[in-house]
Amino acid sequence: MENNFSAENSLRLITETIERSRRTMAKNSGKPMILWGSLVAATSIVIWALWTKTGTPMWNLLWFAMSALGGIFTHQLTRNREKVPATEISRILGKVWMWFGIFATGFYVLLWVVALIRYAAHIDGVVTVEMTMLLTMMMGLCGAISGSVMNCKTVSACSVVATALSVIFVLLVPDGSPLQILTFLILGVFALIIPGVILQRKANA
Amino acid sequence: MPENGKLFKPLDPLLHSELRLAVMSILLDAGSADFVYLKAETGATSGNLSVQLDKLQQAGYIEVTKGFKGKMPQTVCRITDEGRNAFANYVEALRSYISSGNR
Repeated sequence: MENNFSAENSLRLITETIERSRRTMAKNSGKPMILWGSLVAATSIVIWALWTKTGTPMWNLLWFAMSALGGIFTHQLTRNREKVPATEISRILGKVWMWFGIFATGFYVLLWVVALIRYAAHIDGVVTVEMTMLLTMMMGLCGAISGSVMNCKTVSACSVVATALSVIFVLLVPDGSPLQILTFLILGVFALIIPGVILQRKANA
Repeated sequence: MPENGKLFKPLDPLLHSELRLAVMSILLDAGSADFVYLKAETGATSGNLSVQLDKLQQAGYIEVTKGFKGKMPQTVCRITDEGRNAFANYVEALRSYISSGNR
């Protein structure tokens, strides 16, 4: 290969190669957000409808089915993508959302375990845990961190707006009402689908 | 010569080559990438790319792992700490050339 290129050309080559490679890697980066946002929004509507009709909050177990379905879809999405390497940013984002999943699922499982222990040990009294609020805050936080990592203020802003709207919604809806679950519809649309569409357009521009 | 009177830092001849520099730039950002991706991004021929990757590997700047993804063979290149340091030194040297040229 030729070695007679100037210092300026070398720096230009480095910059252009990294920029081109980043554009390739950014292709379809919004698709997982759109996918998960759609799943969250659709699941919240289904749970709300079934909970309202039957009166049982047990339909919340559908979140586990959604997670499994999302995992399968994400695998398909990744498999069908071009052979694009993961960047440090995509690795960090993956870990942020992985920990969100672990915390959300772990917390839910823990609540069930504690409920069973209390039942078995005949411990009386009612303990109220504001699960919707907690998950809303966690999801908003992860979205805002993702936006900062990607250096995309729009994504962070969408997450902040989504979290604020969701918290207001939760506080306005009566405690224990099936309507509370629709907070995830707001989060799905504002924190995932809209930023996903913005990222997708930006990457494919 | 730079103001401090020292000679210019020598440019690493291994990195001062268009294709090897392009490969290292991609790996610096991505950490690792497979052969097919590097070939597509650099526009190099398979033969030329193989030769340049071999040189970078021999210098300890990258690690090359050959394996399979499903039934397809896959060659993955990963930048090493030595490669990152060499790249940082190379860029620093380039900057010193440019800044002294602008004076």
